[in-house]
Amino acid sequence: MPIHVSKTEVTIKGTCTVEDALPLLEALQATPAARVALMHCTHIHTASLQVLLALQPSIVSWPEEAFLARWLTPLLNQGGR
Amino acid sequence: MTTPLLVRFVSEARDLLQAAATCLLRLEKSPDDEAAINEVFRAVHTLKGSVGLFDFPAFTKLVHAGEDLLSAVRAGQLALSSELVDLLLDALDQVSAWVDSIDAIGALPDGADGVSRDITARLRTALPQDLEAGAAVVPLRAEILSSIEWLPAVPAAERLAALRAALSGADILALEYLPAEDCFFSGEDPAALFRQVPGLLALAMEPRRDWPAAEALDPYCCLLRFRALTTASRAEIEHLFRYVIEQVALTAVAPHLLAVAETGLSPAVASILDGQRVILELPAGDDLPSRLTSVARTVENVLHAAGQETTDWREAVRATETSGDTAPLLAVLARLLDARPEVKVDAAAKGLAAAEGSVLSSPDLRHASRVLKVDQAKIDSLMNLIGELVVSKNSLPFLARRAEEVYGSREMSREIKDLFAVVDRLAQEMQAAIMAVRMLPVSEVFERFPRLVRDIARKLGKRIDLVIEGEDTAADKTIVEMLGDPLLHIIRNALDHGIETPDEREAQGKPVEARVLLKAFQEGDQVVIEVSDDGRGIDPVKIRAAAVAKGVIDAERAAGLTDQDAVNLVFLPGFSTAGQVSDLSGRGVGMDVVVSTVEKANGSVSLSSVKGEGTTVRLSLPLSMAVTRVMMVEAGGGMLFGIPMDHIAETVRIPRDSIRHIKQSEAFVLRDTIVPLLRLDTLLGLERNVWFGDPTEEDAVLVVRIGNTLTGLVVDHFREGMDIILKPFDGILAGLPNYSGTALLGDGRVLLVLNLKELL
Repeated sequence: MPIHVSKTEVTIKGTCTVEDALPLLEALQATPAARVALMHCTHIHTASLQVLLALQPSIVSWPEEAFLARWLTPLLNQGGR
Repeated sequence: MTTPLLVRFVSEARDLLQAAATCLLRLEKSPDDEAAINEVFRAVHTLKGSVGLFDFPAFTKLVHAGEDLLSAVRAGQLALSSELVDLLLDALDQVSAWVDSIDAIGALPDGADGVSRDITARLRTALPQDLEAGAAVVPLRAEILSSIEWLPAVPAAERLAALRAALSGADILALEYLPAEDCFFSGEDPAALFRQVPGLLALAMEPRRDWPAAEALDPYCCLLRFRALTTASRAEIEHLFRYVIEQVALTAVAPHLLAVAETGLSPAVASILDGQRVILELPAGDDLPSRLTSVARTVENVLHAAGQETTDWREAVRATETSGDTAPLLAVLARLLDARPEVKVDAAAKGLAAAEGSVLSSPDLRHASRVLKVDQAKIDSLMNLIGELVVSKNSLPFLARRAEEVYGSREMSREIKDLFAVVDRLAQEMQAAIMAVRMLPVSEVFERFPRLVRDIARKLGKRIDLVIEGEDTAADKTIVEMLGDPLLHIIRNALDHGIETPDEREAQGKPVEARVLLKAFQEGDQVVIEVSDDGRGIDPVKIRAAAVAKGVIDAERAAGLTDQDAVNLVFLPGFSTAGQVSDLSGRGVGMDVVVSTVEKANGSVSLSSVKGEGTTVRLSLPLSMAVTRVMMVEAGGGMLFGIPMDHIAETVRIPRDSIRHIKQSEAFVLRDTIVPLLRLDTLLGLERNVWFGDPTEEDAVLVVRIGNTLTGLVVDHFREGMDIILKPFDGILAGLPNYSGTALLGDGRVLLVLNLKELL
């Protein structure tokens, strides 16, 4: 499971697949204030990406992977925090 | 198998191939001719597009490879060498053979796939290495849309990056990808696709509509919309997105759009504002106040909608209302429209001009010409109908005469004649109109010669510049089409025998590059085609010797010939100067073929040549073959015959006692020349009118010119000249050589038209 849910934080590591979209959504729905750590995430499937874009959670750490860093960061930055 | 679509494709493909070949040759001469490279590229590109409608994969692949090569040439990545032109021309030849095959059997010939693979491979190896792998296709400028409405929404930094890339020569592609809502269920990961897009300059992932509330969000319903700018080629993108290609919109972005977007005004807004500026700049009049109000309101609304600051504008409006001077308003508009960050003003200016230049010259802005493609058979049947009309119209004068003579009504006769005049005029106009339809420019035939001359010249190792003049000269379709073979022969002759090798030319102090001039012009009712070269010319001495050796004429006659006449010996059948049979000309087919073909069309050939300076062959042909002017004569006691007007030199009346008898033959003296005299009755085997010796009686003599000799032809009476539609004999009568055909007269009689050349 690339998704680890703690009380206040959702950590996404490695490749986030299509199956992770629903757990991610549920976690964020359960704790709307939860912050998301993306540091070690290497790819997010579009379905999960969509969840993040729709809910605009606060991000604690930004992905290091180049593609995500380049294109995802500005999209998530504009909302929450 | 053959569908109307396919038929249209075939005719279109032929035009495109011809255009491509013509431009390639132009390009070889002047490699910097941008119009030519664009045109040839466009032709091949269009061809690729149209063949895509059909299932001819071999065809498509080959054309595609050709397009890639041309696109590299166009982008300046590849220099166009003669070898490259050869390669491309070969490819075009192959394609044209396939088009013929498609036309004939509706499919490509067997083995087309293999041929396509070979040529495609050859074309691909000519491509520069970096392009080869990606099979880059530079999108056509013509496809550049004038507005991509979301472009201004791209963040400025990314847009600038794209602009920079565009100005440094890259082609920018805008990509919009709208995945299906259920795409996740089919295992797609749209975002992952963009990881593979090379040269990604901007990427926006946005909801296509507002996000639903967090509780209502369905993570497995894709609501995203992807918009990207990339320097990747269209082919790369199409390949990458091949499974979802119908959900992807690709548009080439002109650099100036990226620049315009800098103002923060979308092109649509800018164009509205520009329109308002024009209204303001109109000369002031009584309506100025109302115009001002409307402009003020429009601009404010537009600015508001575009999210722009409106305070400047309001101030300017107030200033104008008090002063009545539109200058402040114009200033604000100008600032809005022209405000562009520094980068593009200087750097973009160049790219902008280039982009706009090519957009303007692109074919799609050319208005579609209103041309109707009509099957020739329809025109021919129209032509025939008009012919019939002319004939029936000609019967009105007969009717008029009958009204007068038989029914004794002069009034009636005159009315019929008046009516005849009207119908006559209309029929003539109609005839002229239909003739004009059948008129083709000679360029139809000329077009293929640049290619031919180039190939032959390369084969012979000669350097030849073919100059074509007057290719717009028009003549009847039959004439123009008939010209092809004789011209081909003449030009081959000129290249093979006339033009010297570069070394010989240099030795003689001539320019190394020989010049062949192919010129067409109209002269009276004739169209004249001249082929002149500046080669070695024809040596009359050699011609005489050759003619005697071949037994065409005897030595005595040869010696008596003037130089000009000697040169004309080449027209005699069985005469061919070529020492050996070459691949090109001298295949035993001499100039006599040219002469006979041209004469069949009632034309004439003449040749003049100066030794060491060149040769000019001149073909003179009637503009139209449809109508023949003949003179009617009466012979054999009331029978009518037509004699083509071209042959008639003059008509004279000769007193019977001035006819000289030389053994069995008769002759008379016409202006100090002895002209042989023949009787038409005798020639046609008709019974001769018997006359009893009144020596002062005169015979009607038609002096006709056949070739260069004059002959007198005794007929019973001269009748009027008339325009007829000559119908050649067919079927069982086709073997009658003495007549060239028939025409129907107004009173229903059949007029036999004589073929004097055979008869005399």
